[in-house]
Amino acid sequence: MRPDARSSRAVLKRAGVPADFETLALGEVARVPAADVIAALKALKDSGYESLIDFDGIDTGDDITLTWRLRSYSADRETYVRTSVAYGAEIASVWNVYPSALMPERETAELFGMRLAGHPNPKRLLTTDGVPPLLLKEVPIRTEEEVKAR
Amino acid sequence: MSDPRTTVTTPGLLAEGTHDPGTPPAGIKRAPTGVDHLATEHLVINMGPQHPSTHGVLRLLIEVDGEEVVTVEVSVGYLHRGIEKLAEHRRFNAIGTLMDRGDYVSGIHGETAVALAVERLMEIEVPRKAQWLRSLAAELNRIASHLVWFGTFGLDTGGMGQFLYAMRDREAILDILEAITGQRMMFNYARPGGVVADLPVGIDEKIRAFCDTFDTYLDEHHALLGGNEIFQGRVKGIGIIDAEKAFAFGLTGANLRGAGVDFDVRKKRPYDAYPELDWEVPLGSAGDAWDRYMVRMGEMRQSARMIRQLIDGIPEGEHTAKVPKVLRPPAGEIYACVESSRGETGIHLVTDGGDTPYRMHYRAPSIFALQAVEDIVPGHLIADTVMMVGSTDVMLGETDR
Repeated sequence: MRPDARSSRAVLKRAGVPADFETLALGEVARVPAADVIAALKALKDSGYESLIDFDGIDTGDDITLTWRLRSYSADRETYVRTSVAYGAEIASVWNVYPSALMPERETAELFGMRLAGHPNPKRLLTTDGVPPLLLKEVPIRTEEEVKAR
Repeated sequence: MSDPRTTVTTPGLLAEGTHDPGTPPAGIKRAPTGVDHLATEHLVINMGPQHPSTHGVLRLLIEVDGEEVVTVEVSVGYLHRGIEKLAEHRRFNAIGTLMDRGDYVSGIHGETAVALAVERLMEIEVPRKAQWLRSLAAELNRIASHLVWFGTFGLDTGGMGQFLYAMRDREAILDILEAITGQRMMFNYARPGGVVADLPVGIDEKIRAFCDTFDTYLDEHHALLGGNEIFQGRVKGIGIIDAEKAFAFGLTGANLRGAGVDFDVRKKRPYDAYPELDWEVPLGSAGDAWDRYMVRMGEMRQSARMIRQLIDGIPEGEHTAKVPKVLRPPAGEIYACVESSRGETGIHLVTDGGDTPYRMHYRAPSIFALQAVEDIVPGHLIADTVMMVGSTDVMLGETDR
C-alpha cells in the first residue's frame, strides 16, 4: 500500500530538507538548495509522488532555475521542486530516483550549457557538438552569418 | 563474470559517451536478461533515421547478439528546430504555428495548450462556444492522429490493407478540418481567447455523416488488423510496461492507460468542453503492446462519441473572447496541460509582462515514451523492437522540438 502523497511542506519538514515554500499560479513550489535536491526528491517519492512529469530550466539572468514537476497518481496531486544553480555548473542527475529524468536532463544540460554528474549517458541529446547552449538569453536567435546575410 | 556487458567482445554502444552504468533502481532493467553467455560477437545496428519502421527521424542504435537485442540507445535530434527558443521571439498569438510543427499529426492539441496557458495567465474568460469548437477540432484531430498510428502500426507487422483504409478515413477528417480551420495539418486554429473562426455553414452535416460511417468503419479496421492472428501473435505479451515502469519513466496518455492507470488529463485536469461531455476512459490491464492498441482503438470510439455530442450541442454565442491584438500577460508563470493524441502535452510558460514569453517549455510526451522503449527493448528480438516503438506511438516532431 502506497502512502498517500501529502503537501511537500510536511514531507520535506519531516525529512529534514531545508526548503522555502511558495504558492504560485503554477502550484505548490518548494525551493531547495542544489545540494539537497536528490534528498528532497527521494523524500517526496517515498511519500507517494510516483512520477516525475517534467523537468526544465529557466535562464533568469542571474542563474539557471531548474524545476521538477512531480505527480502522485494515487492522491491526484502535483508539486514542484525548484533550485537555482550558477551558469555552467554541474547538475547532479536524479535518474536513480526518477528514471524519467534521463533525457530531459540531457536536454537541459545541453541547452543551458551545464554539466551532468552521475548520469549514465551524459551526451548531447538534440544538437551536435559546437552548437552553443541555445536557451541561454545571451545566445542570439540568429547567428552572425545569418544576420549579415539579411 | 555474470554481467553480460562485460562479455561483449565488440564494445559498440557501451564505448559511446563516458559512462558508468551505475546501480539501477529496483524494477528498472538496464542490463538485459536472457542473453546467453557464449562469447558471440555483438553487432551494432543503426536503425534509422531513415528506417520506415521508426515513424519519422528516429535513430536506434541496437546492439544485437544474433537476433536478440542486448542494448538499445535512442538517438533523437534530427528534427530539432528550436521551438522553445523561437517561441521566446514570437508574440503569444503566434506561438500556435510553432506548436503545430511540434506534434505535426495532432496540431490542435499543442495550440490549445499554449492558448490555455495564456488565458489562465491573463484570466481571459473563453466563451462557451469557443471551448466547444476547440474540443470538436481536437477530437477530430485525435481520430486522425490515431488513424495514422493505426495504419503505420499495422505496416510494421507487414499488413498493408488497414493502412489504406485508415488513410481513407483520415482524408475525410482532414477535409472537415480544412473546412473548419483552413488548413489540413498546420491549423493555427486555437488562439488565446477562443478559436480563429466559427464553423462554416453546412459542416455539421458533413461531420454527422462522418460519425455515422466511422463507427462501422472502426469495427472493420479492428477486424482487419486486430482480428488477424499474425498481428495478435506479434503484439500480445510484447513490450510490457506495467504501472510501476510507466510511473518511473513518466509515461502519459495511452501508454499509461494501457497499464491500467486511470489518468486522462481531460477527466482529471478538465479544460474546454470535456467536463460537459459524456464519455469513458478506455483502460488496459497488462500494459503490453496489445493493451495499448486496444486503448487507442477505444479512444477513437470515444472521440467519435464526443464529436456527436459536440456537434449536437454547440452553444450559441461568440467564437472568441474580446482580446487585444497584442497580448501582454502579467509577469508570472503557469503550467497548462492537455491530453494530446500521445499523452500529456504541457506548456510551462514564464512571462515578464512583455509581448513575448520569457521562457516557454514544451513538455512532449513522446520523449518519455522513448525512455521506456530504451528499457523494454533489451531481451527481445529485432522484429519486436519495431512493434514496441510502434506501440508507444512516438512522434519525433515533438521529441526534438
